[in-house]
Amino acid sequence: MNARAVAAWSGACLVIVLTTSNPAYKAAVLCAAFTVLAATAGLRRMRRLLLSVALVGFFDVLLNFMSAHLGLTVLFTVPYAVPAFGGTYTVEGLAFGVSGALTIAAALLAAAPFSLLLAPHDVMDALPRVLASTGTAIAASLNLVPSIARSFTDVAEAQRMRGWRPRGPGSWAEVLVPVVLTGAEGSIQLAESMEARGFGSGPRTAYQRPRLGRSGRFVIAGAAVAVAGFLASRAAGWAVDWYAYPALQAPAIDPRPLVACLFLFAPVMAWRRRG
Amino acid sequence: MAAARLTDLTYAYTRSDTPALDRVSLEVGDGLTLVVGPSGGGKSTLLRVLNGLVPHFHGGRISGAATSAGVDVITTPTRLLARKVGFVFQDPELQAVYDTVEREVAFGLENIGVPTTAMAARIDEALTEAGATHLRGRRLSTLSGGERQRVALASVLAMHPQTVVLDEPTSQLDPEGAARVLEATVRLKELGRAVVISEHRFDALRDEADQVIAVDGGRATAGDVPEEQSPVTTRRGAPGDEVWSLRDVTAGFRDHPVLDHVDLVGRQGEVVALVGPNGAGKTTLLRTITGALPPLAGTVERCPGRVAYLPQNPAALLHQPTVRAEVELTLRRSPNGWHATPVLEEFGLLHVAGRYPRDLSSGERQRAALAAVLAGHPVCVLLDEPTRGMDARARGALVTVVTRLRDEGASVVLATHDMMLRDAVADRVVAL
Repeated sequence: MNARAVAAWSGACLVIVLTTSNPAYKAAVLCAAFTVLAATAGLRRMRRLLLSVALVGFFDVLLNFMSAHLGLTVLFTVPYAVPAFGGTYTVEGLAFGVSGALTIAAALLAAAPFSLLLAPHDVMDALPRVLASTGTAIAASLNLVPSIARSFTDVAEAQRMRGWRPRGPGSWAEVLVPVVLTGAEGSIQLAESMEARGFGSGPRTAYQRPRLGRSGRFVIAGAAVAVAGFLASRAAGWAVDWYAYPALQAPAIDPRPLVACLFLFAPVMAWRRRG
Repeated sequence: MAAARLTDLTYAYTRSDTPALDRVSLEVGDGLTLVVGPSGGGKSTLLRVLNGLVPHFHGGRISGAATSAGVDVITTPTRLLARKVGFVFQDPELQAVYDTVEREVAFGLENIGVPTTAMAARIDEALTEAGATHLRGRRLSTLSGGERQRVALASVLAMHPQTVVLDEPTSQLDPEGAARVLEATVRLKELGRAVVISEHRFDALRDEADQVIAVDGGRATAGDVPEEQSPVTTRRGAPGDEVWSLRDVTAGFRDHPVLDHVDLVGRQGEVVALVGPNGAGKTTLLRTITGALPPLAGTVERCPGRVAYLPQNPAALLHQPTVRAEVELTLRRSPNGWHATPVLEEFGLLHVAGRYPRDLSSGERQRAALAAVLAGHPVCVLLDEPTRGMDARARGALVTVVTRLRDEGASVVLATHDMMLRDAVADRVVAL
């Protein structure tokens, strides 16, 4: 799997989902991203990601529903005297929240192949030479993420054994400070190790240069057609936007932008499943 | 030619008034040089001078002269010195840049501009020298600590350094992993490289060392490999009532239980040592006793009272501005008339009581964490690899403390690879 092809596909998904407010097209991108990930990474490896996406989406819907207080189709009203929550709760507020959640979910799934399907060195190898050193430093720092996550569990357990109990936001300092300090120490140690192996001593060479094979070219072509087709549809007025307020209406759906989105499914045919 | 020569070298870290190295003059010859001395004595600093991390990476104030592999250390940045002096750090997890063995070994070669076509052969050669050829296609996350450390060694060897410096490379490893790393180190000497190693496990290197440098209080002198003396303890009376028990306990991950139907009890005034290779379930068992890890099946019971738990990574505990404050925090939470000073004295930490715990050496840090958890009167003491990074003196102090806690009626459980500690204090050994 070529990182540049992955970047092209992710970029195409993001361009489409971020340039439209029409939930039908967002759903099409979400569907493509989910199918590609399920076919390549497998549902089992996606479990945590899907849970995170569902949680973020849920809170987005909830936040919009509770804070918008706009729209004509009122579900119920909380007295205005109730601070923060007072006002009308509408179907339109709910629908707009769902549309926002679709954007977030599609964007997260579109970016997921970088962590689910590629190793950090795949991404580094794909960077242009001018960014090689920066990319290496970023990839190296990504290696610290699992140890920082582990450190959070270790610290919370250790402090609990010393009598710490979570009592309000302030009390978390006893856990968060050691986690942050441990992470910083890890970064310093890693930087020391990189320096000790000549990092930054001159022009770098690369052990492997990724080759863009037929499947990579196919995915890039599919991504390009999808973006070009969708943007052309927007310019021609076929992919119209949608707005939930003041009264909820079904989004206008035109088959031409949807056909453009179909090209985002190209990786299903091109990429082999990764264990 | 000497591998390194230091002349009247004095160095102090930034924001430190006391020099970490004090007027050090020495010559490091070819062959294997063993650097010994107590924790916090300046061993790591001395080793970092040899590849220029001190002063170039750490800053601070330096005077005198130092050459390493024929290069002036004080005027040559580490990234350039790296072509001649390789460095292997203590913690194998925190020195990896890439996620696969092959790429990790290639990292240094990429940095120094070795042509792509020449890399594969150098990777092969380095993995062979480090005894890690069979690991070539593996992901680092699937390797044990000892295997990762040999990959770290290979990634240094691929750069063809004249001198290889290793800073306590086995302190995080189980005995088998440590033995493999030390075997690879000895092989380097046989291949004609200069090797400088700081190590608390002397035995494997005792006969191989061509030179011994003793570092203490920032001063370095020619020395001998110290003789290790195992402390002898005597016990008072038989163990008392049950303090904790595991009945038919299965624990770990749902799809991969680490402990399977375990029955075990701990009694007042008893020391139980858990032994076994990395991954055998020692930490899982300790966490199950603490209650932090609920069992998948079976029952865990524990008498009321404070549990003192030392995790594998002492950094998980330390967050107060001083070592004394760390001890006082524990005493404040379980008041029992104790004061911090005797606790600090017991662990030999009085001289660093006012210092920031994370600025200490790894051995001192371990002692600070121990002092922080063991202060007062815990009824149950669970220590995960308590002698990690400790010198012989500190291990002796720990034996004294564990013996006292046992005699005061605590139930002590040690997960340890340290045979000296096990033999000195364990009433019962449980192999996992």
